[in-house]
Amino acid sequence: MKYILPTLGAVAAISLFAFSSSKQTAIAVERPSYDETFQQLELFADVLARVRNDYVVDVNDGELIEDAINGMLQSLDPHSSYVNPDAFRDLQVSTSGEYGGLGMEVTTEEGFVKVIAPIDDTPAKRAGVKAGDYITEIEGESIMGVSLTEAVNRMRGKPGEPITITIAREDEEQMEITMTREVIKRQVVKYEIKDGMGYIRISQFNEKADTGLADAIAGLEKEMGGKIPGIVLDLRGNPGGLLDQSIKVSSAFLDGGEVVSTRGRVATDTERYNGERGELAKGIPLVVLIDGASASASEIVAGAVQDRNRGLVIGMTSFGKGSVQSVIPLRGGRDGALRLTTQRYYTPSGRSIQGTGIDPDIFVSAVPDDGKERRIRREADLRNTIPNENADEDSDDTTEEEVAEIIIDYPPEGFEIEDDYQLQKAIEILKNGTYPNLLAKAG
Amino acid sequence: MSESFKTHLKRGAAILLLATSFAAWSPTLSANPQSKEDQEALAKMELFADVFARVREQYVEDVSDKELIEAALNGALESLDPHSSYSPPAEFKEQREAVKREYGGLGIEVTTDAGLVKVNHAIEDGPAYKAGIRGGDYITAVEGVKTRGKSLDDAVKGMRGLAGDPITVTVLSPNMSPRDVVVIREVVRGRAVRHRVEQGLGYVFIETFNNTSLTKDLTKALKSLENDLGGTLPGLIIDMRSNRGGLLDQSVSVSGLFMDGGEVLSSRGRTAEDTERYHAEPGELYPNMPIVVLVNSGSASAAEIVAGALQDRGRAVVLGRRTFGKGSVQSVIPLIKHGGALRMTTQKYYTPSGKSIQGRGIMPDMLVATAPDTGEIRKRFREDSLPNSLLNPDDTDYEENYEDIIYPPDDWSSSKDFQLQKAIEVLKTSKHRTLLAEQSKRYNFP
Repeated sequence: MKYILPTLGAVAAISLFAFSSSKQTAIAVERPSYDETFQQLELFADVLARVRNDYVVDVNDGELIEDAINGMLQSLDPHSSYVNPDAFRDLQVSTSGEYGGLGMEVTTEEGFVKVIAPIDDTPAKRAGVKAGDYITEIEGESIMGVSLTEAVNRMRGKPGEPITITIAREDEEQMEITMTREVIKRQVVKYEIKDGMGYIRISQFNEKADTGLADAIAGLEKEMGGKIPGIVLDLRGNPGGLLDQSIKVSSAFLDGGEVVSTRGRVATDTERYNGERGELAKGIPLVVLIDGASASASEIVAGAVQDRNRGLVIGMTSFGKGSVQSVIPLRGGRDGALRLTTQRYYTPSGRSIQGTGIDPDIFVSAVPDDGKERRIRREADLRNTIPNENADEDSDDTTEEEVAEIIIDYPPEGFEIEDDYQLQKAIEILKNGTYPNLLAKAG
Repeated sequence: MSESFKTHLKRGAAILLLATSFAAWSPTLSANPQSKEDQEALAKMELFADVFARVREQYVEDVSDKELIEAALNGALESLDPHSSYSPPAEFKEQREAVKREYGGLGIEVTTDAGLVKVNHAIEDGPAYKAGIRGGDYITAVEGVKTRGKSLDDAVKGMRGLAGDPITVTVLSPNMSPRDVVVIREVVRGRAVRHRVEQGLGYVFIETFNNTSLTKDLTKALKSLENDLGGTLPGLIIDMRSNRGGLLDQSVSVSGLFMDGGEVLSSRGRTAEDTERYHAEPGELYPNMPIVVLVNSGSASAAEIVAGALQDRGRAVVLGRRTFGKGSVQSVIPLIKHGGALRMTTQKYYTPSGKSIQGRGIMPDMLVATAPDTGEIRKRFREDSLPNSLLNPDDTDYEENYEDIIYPPDDWSSSKDFQLQKAIEVLKTSKHRTLLAEQSKRYNFP
């Protein structure tokens, strides 16, 4: 295999703004034909070699190739990325050990880091970071184009250390927020009695979600004299977490049976996850609250409850993050790792969550109808998202029609957000006797 | 043979092929594969092949090799600078055709900004300009199809068509709600030169260098000005404000009209032997005529070459604001076997005194603003505002000095051209001579 590289002088055409012309000469010696993959790899090697030889300044090949890897992965979807060896080491530390963070779930959109949702009782939540905010700078440095892993790494640090991030929010001036990093508290389940009903909020699905839920149910039972007349399970703003926790949480309300399946590219990649027998909250009427910031594990729970007709789901359509990322170490982690979307979630009835999210049985808005559609951006609006393969070719039109038909229950004009209209509606349904009918209708 | 063993074999083959073909393609690498950096490069190449193979095998959806490699190439090239990119075969074919055929267009230059198509510049009297579209507007839809998330090329493709055909674009201007605008496509050729007499002086406006007859038209315009002024040109204003550049040879020949031979610019690559020098033709049209060149932050590329040459050679006073700073040359390198092309920055422009234009632009001899003083310099969009732009190795300060800027009085009407007024003043007073004298001291150029 031998090539004669044309000299750049002959190949190159001087090109100024918005104009280019070219003439070239090159001699390629005959060589055997490879299959398409090899041709593509050759193309890649060819281009890199030319950059190496002819780019206007010296370039570091290693960095160039790493940029190529990032470009390739980012073209797949916002959740796939390359984790370099340093970041991979940190990643292993962060899932096991203690580190200081800000407490928000983030994704990337158009080169910027976007907040899916801040976690309750964390620096981010207390500082007023909101779902849908864009983080444009960390410590005054622009993070446009910086990979998600890198951005997250920069936000992490020693607990107690301050950090300043710049937030861009729709229709508002950019603002700088200074927070103190802390070890993100693991208390993710809270409960209380609200108007005679049990109210349980799960803010994140970490490893303590299932025990927290069991404690909550036991606590409510005790406080309510042995019998809970109804449960509101609040998953609003819950960005998800661990898959096995979503199954354990679902198990508390389902007596065994399928909760979720994950499917890869080929049929043999399918895995079904079943709930454990023995339902903690047996026979207790259930309303699950979701909104546009309920993602991933939250959607699994809501989808299972809905598909199995175990309870009513109310609120607004969820985020639509129905993909699973695997962290694949490369050369045992010496080369870092690959975070790659390998599977999709499916609800027990076989619906894919990806992109479309879970529609509630009853749409209830948190804010009054202000005439324009207030819609938090969901996965389907992100660039480069994996399409939902269930969707029809012309799904855009059908969704629009469906949207037109959806009846949304808005709070009256002047209703205070703090009064939580969605929660009030949930309790009302449990109390006024309409629950059984509504549940039957939803099924 | 088990499936996993087969894929393992395949991956091994891919890695091997990639590493060897990279080495084969890269003469420096194969000549000396021992250096640490080379070994690192080969290791990274293996890493790339490994990632590539795993994505093909394990990603949740089927992905085509072509798209993966394309994305990888874009990732690598875009990391170099904002002007380097890869064009797949279909796109490259269209680019070549676009150069040959005359498409009807809207007469706008567009760029992407946060996923939207943004109008950089609307060519004056072009179809879009006539329909009310201006630089800074966003085009959110073409014929009702949203542009968000589309590549720039796809968006532009939708705008092109036969001259005379109407097209509806949805335009979003700052502080306004989106509106539909119907534009009749025209064959847009930047109007080369406009000229008029300004207070007894000659004035030429060069809007673009993207016109092969520019130098001819300019010569004609100067002759006609000469006639209008009774046979002599007492002074000339060359207005290249917001001129985004164009053809290199036109910038050389336009500069050549005003200088008797000598260097106009050099373009230099990575190594010394890549240097090319461009010279003016001997013979100057109006040897003793004083000239003022008007520039602003929108004057780019070819316009900067002309301003830089006339300034360095002591031939004109440059007046206005620091220019854009697009001082790099992109080569389009066809990839013969694959049919696509690589657009890559291979050279940088240098003015005759040896200054690189890239990222810095040309600093006027006299800094003049268009609008009254607000107490600070408003940040303007220039090459160095582009993320990841190529740096100029000269890191001395090149920002405009606030104290040096001459502002119009507070009650100056925005319909009047303060920079032009100042240019006329300079030409009509001894200021021109003083500025040239200062200039020669500053650049120390023979």
